[in-house]
Amino acid sequence: MTRAPELNSPRTGTDVGDTLHPRTAEGKLDEVFSFRELARLDEALTMSSRETGLRFTLYVGELATPTRATAEQLHARSGDHPTDAVLIAVSPGQRVVEVVTGAGAARRLPDRACALAVLSMTSAFANGDLVGGIVNGLRQLSDQAGHPAGLRPH
Amino acid sequence: MTVAETLLVYAGIPLAFVLVLALLTLRPGADRRPRYKPGQPWNHAPVWYEPHPATVGGHGPAPSHGPAAVPGSGTAALGSSMYPEQPGERALDANAGAGPQVALGTQDSHHGGATAARSPQAAGPLGGARGTW
Repeated sequence: MTRAPELNSPRTGTDVGDTLHPRTAEGKLDEVFSFRELARLDEALTMSSRETGLRFTLYVGELATPTRATAEQLHARSGDHPTDAVLIAVSPGQRVVEVVTGAGAARRLPDRACALAVLSMTSAFANGDLVGGIVNGLRQLSDQAGHPAGLRPH
Repeated sequence: MTVAETLLVYAGIPLAFVLVLALLTLRPGADRRPRYKPGQPWNHAPVWYEPHPATVGGHGPAPSHGPAAVPGSGTAALGSSMYPEQPGERALDANAGAGPQVALGTQDSHHGGATAARSPQAAGPLGGARGTW
């Protein structure tokens, strides 16, 4: 599997697990994050998406220079229903994090809530804790978004 | 106890103990990666993670929501080991160029079956936030 298709569409975090996916030709699978960190990221993404009914995706890497516009372009292709998608784009080299919410997701995740999550993420990133910041930001976002109407008990 | 025995017991054993502990703690880790520090360049290829499709939302089975980007297969995750790269995806390599540069003018969704399923869709007025550190 080459790199390019992965960037046209996201992939799951544990896709790179050695039990699931023995892709040795690609090089080091845990080059960026260790397997333990990947498992944390994967669980955070999956659980927050399951709880909220929104679709959280995480991009880690360089963003082209108008980072906001690039993140919005990525968001537009992040899934089949970008309206309900939330993209968290982290560029550690540029020290930028962008959270993009679709129209449907923005109703449950107002910009103020996103700004709060971004604030907690950046304070963790400034300490060098990428994975911890991402996981906490995801937790904050999913707490704010709550459960979808179909899952609410009453 | 002779002098040699005394030395061995009271100096040799503690020294050996300390050496073993030092070796255990200071030995280079099996997979010690350079820790990210703010301000240093990020020299990794971009990655994009998504949640597991089978668990998205509480509505209906997963394949409708998942990364059904492989042509001819409604359930295929693009990075899945069960569905390796399809011939149609090869077209991406020629067109996509250097991965993350989603060039601001490339709204052309007419290359490759995989991207056709992934073509940018209007998501209404976008919200969100931005932060730097």
